Amino acid sequence: MPVSTGRRLGRRWAAVVAGAAALGALAATAGLAVADVAPCNTAYTGQLVFVRLRYDAAQGRRCGPFPQFITWAHDYPRAERNLTRILESVTYIDPFQGPYGGNVLALDDPELHKFPIAYMSEPGHWYPSEAEVLGLRRYVEKGGFLIFDDFWGAHWENFEAQMRRVLPDARLLPVELAHPVFQSFFEIESLEMEPMYYGLPVEFHGVFEDNDPAGRLIAIANYNNDIGEYWEYSDTGWVPIDLSNEAYKFGVNYLMYAMTH
Amino acid sequence: MFEAIFEFLFKYRPLVFEQGDFAIRAPWAIALAAAVAAGALTLRTYGRVRGNSRPLDRGVLAAIRLGAIAVVAFCLLQPVVVLSSVVPQQNFLGVLVDDSRSMQIADRDETERLRFVEDRLRAGGDLRTALEERFALRFFGFSTETDRLGDLDELTYRGTRTQLGQALERAHEELTGVPLSGLVVVTDGADNADGGLGESLLPIQAAGIPVFTVGLGRETFDRDIQLSRVETPRRVLRGAALVVDAVVTHRGYRGETVTVQVEDEGRIVGTEEVELGGAGEPRTVRLRFTAAEEGPRLFTFRVSPRPGEMVTQNNVRDALILVENHSEKVLYFEGEPRFEVKFLRRAVADDENLHVSILQRTAENKFMRLDVEDADDLVGGFPTTRAELYRYSGLVLGSIEANYFTPDQLRMIADFVNDRGGGLMMLGSQRSFAEGGYAGTPVADVLPVVLDERGADGEEDFFVEVAVETTRAGATHAATQIAETEELSVDRWSELPPITIVNPITEVKPAATALLTSAADDLVVLAFQRYGAGKSLAFPVQDSWMWQMHADIAVDDMTHETFWRRMLRWLVDGVPDQVTVELPADQVEPGESVTILATVGDANFEEINNSAVIASVTHPDGDFTDRRMEWTAEADGEYRATFIAPTEGFYEVRVEALSGDELIGEDVTYLQVAPSDAEYYDSTMRTALLDRIAEETGGRRYTPETVDSLADDVQFVGGGVTVVEERDLWDMPALLLLLGTLVLGEWGYRRFRGLA
Repeated sequence: MPVSTGRRLGRRWAAVVAGAAALGALAATAGLAVADVAPCNTAYTGQLVFVRLRYDAAQGRRCGPFPQFITWAHDYPRAERNLTRILESVTYIDPFQGPYGGNVLALDDPELHKFPIAYMSEPGHWYPSEAEVLGLRRYVEKGGFLIFDDFWGAHWENFEAQMRRVLPDARLLPVELAHPVFQSFFEIESLEMEPMYYGLPVEFHGVFEDNDPAGRLIAIANYNNDIGEYWEYSDTGWVPIDLSNEAYKFGVNYLMYAMTH
Repeated sequence: MFEAIFEFLFKYRPLVFEQGDFAIRAPWAIALAAAVAAGALTLRTYGRVRGNSRPLDRGVLAAIRLGAIAVVAFCLLQPVVVLSSVVPQQNFLGVLVDDSRSMQIADRDETERLRFVEDRLRAGGDLRTALEERFALRFFGFSTETDRLGDLDELTYRGTRTQLGQALERAHEELTGVPLSGLVVVTDGADNADGGLGESLLPIQAAGIPVFTVGLGRETFDRDIQLSRVETPRRVLRGAALVVDAVVTHRGYRGETVTVQVEDEGRIVGTEEVELGGAGEPRTVRLRFTAAEEGPRLFTFRVSPRPGEMVTQNNVRDALILVENHSEKVLYFEGEPRFEVKFLRRAVADDENLHVSILQRTAENKFMRLDVEDADDLVGGFPTTRAELYRYSGLVLGSIEANYFTPDQLRMIADFVNDRGGGLMMLGSQRSFAEGGYAGTPVADVLPVVLDERGADGEEDFFVEVAVETTRAGATHAATQIAETEELSVDRWSELPPITIVNPITEVKPAATALLTSAADDLVVLAFQRYGAGKSLAFPVQDSWMWQMHADIAVDDMTHETFWRRMLRWLVDGVPDQVTVELPADQVEPGESVTILATVGDANFEEINNSAVIASVTHPDGDFTDRRMEWTAEADGEYRATFIAPTEGFYEVRVEALSGDELIGEDVTYLQVAPSDAEYYDSTMRTALLDRIAEETGGRRYTPETVDSLADDVQFVGGGVTVVEERDLWDMPALLLLLGTLVLGEWGYRRFRGLA
């Protein structure tokens, strides 16, 4: 299990931007509630739709000082809105592009099965019910692909525990640079990214079919990382372009891989 | 009955009158003068008589009397029938006896057909004696071959075929040069030779030799069930799900339910029940089973015998199927990233006999290659040469617009089906079918559906969610079987969650067959057609993966996998390689000559006529026979050789074709050599055939009940050394009866009129 190594502040931009980003994120998601988000979902038409998984961050575990801050909605909807724009412009994927960038669905929502790729933010605060565990398990076992993002340090423990509930036999294994997911569209040359959280090294972990690292990847976790944040702020000038580009490469590759493997 | 009455009245059977000429032996002038005098005297007498008679009475009595005088005068003329009759013991008669297994069938009062031969034609038999009194007999036994017999005790009744034409030819040739009165054929007429009978009869007709046929057995069985036909493919991929039609006919079991089962070398792999209809009415049973074991497999189809069946051997049929264990190559070209690729890959991943290479366009001029066999495969994108494309047996076109291809590539795709014999499948999307601009292209000609020319005009996008249902053809087609039984499969299709369609296709071409349609709309969901040497499929569905992912689908549900595996297997089923070998039949008799046919083409599947083609035959005992195959000159790329299969067992026939020292390709097939059971099928007596032989040669057909006259008939009808013979007709009972009737008539009339 990756272990938190300390609390070193991020480099140059992090200190400056962190506060603003948090405020921006807060502003973007302020007031969002389940009832507000669900009606924005688009119906299935055959297009790729970016799906963000919604969960109940219960037990008072909110991320941040503001009560309206919803962990699953971090970077929503700017992250998916920007990512789908990039997808549309650099690939032949024809994603749904709406004001909210995609759909927000619960883990046990039958509609989820119409969209075989799903993204979850802040799994460190994810405490699924049994129904959600079962729903997500069925989704993955039938071929759904999961992307976990935006968690760090001790969040791992909760993430690993919940994944054990969803896929009891699965092991979270490192995903090496040589894995096809990192070459599925862009040739990613290094997995070393600028630390996002307090200097913690970025790590990529995954769940493989039959726990075989050479087999099909069925879930990937960006640990100590938050590529969604890069997507979200890529058009604000707050984040260096090369870092945003790297984040997009990962996002595009994840989707391309999930659509072909 | 008719003949017996005729013979009683006219002294001779009709045949005598047919064959003979009428003549008068006495000087006709004297007889005529006497008759005229008697007539004149009669007229004069009745002319003078008056009494109480009226003119009418005198006229009637004169006419009766004149009739009687005419009968007597006819007798006095000494009429005869002049016949050409064979000279006893100076002519030969060929007797051909059926020596096949069908002679063992006991269908007449539980008596075997061969009993007729044993009882009446063996030494001491009445028919034999009658024939021997007039002719020198020469015996032949015939089945697969025709053999001259010293006597009939050499018959074994074990022949596995009845080659009637060959038997007649052989007997005719054998007896050429001797005075031959005719040929007698004793058989049930169940001729199952491959060739026609007509050619065999020509020389016999030309020589004027009558053939007398004696038909044994019944024209119909009271109670019998027959597995009349089973049609199976000659080769399939291992694991293939087969749907085989077996035709069952019967007599005497109307309304009963019988079980038809198929065994893979003794192991039951499929069972189906069928209720029998009216007598003689064929019932088709659709058997479903899987070819699980590789190699040459003997599948046995069997109908359980029922009580009282006359022939049980015709309840079984064998089929030799070569179950191949190689991997058929399919190219799936997808023009945009979409989930069909992922789920199709997963569906066929565990199928060792399908290798689906994927070329996925991910961006402009950017491709992803998946599951390619070699590092260089498809590195340049979609194949640009026929040789490159023709390496695949199947081609699946996903969301790729027609404009992506060059005109030559579009032509090449059409040729892939038409010339190479490959299978083409087009999937639904905004870039395929009419929406992809395929209307008017060579590919549109190949597709089984009609494309709307306006489809690519950018009109409002069509999108509909449809539930799928099978058509009548789709309910039974091998490609659409997704459950254990036909009924379950139909039900399963109707239960599947809806998929979506963006290609509004409503019409299939005249030669095409729709297998799946939308339940509510009138949309084609799956259709196919044979085109040239290959076949094409239209599957205008953009998200068949819903049958895997949808919330209503259970995690362990295999419908999606089953569908794609069967679909792609069917797509590449029967697609030829550069070198193919085939045999006319999968089973022959020991000692029979076998013809091997091979076709050879180059990498572009252009026929090659100057290849060195060698057929290596491995016998059951491991011995080899090599045959150099020669170009037939009848068809480009076709080579032929023959060999004799002397012993029973499985023979492997492997063909290699070389161009110089370079191997073009090879193919293998198998042959079973075993006694045939053909004798037991349709083994009722063939009256029509026996009639035809008799009529075309001037002979007659007999049954065991009418055969007593055979010896007499041959005497008058037959050729050879003959004498002219006159037979009296004056003493025919019919004349005496007529004369008596006239005299009594005259007397009766007188009594009636009170003139006596």
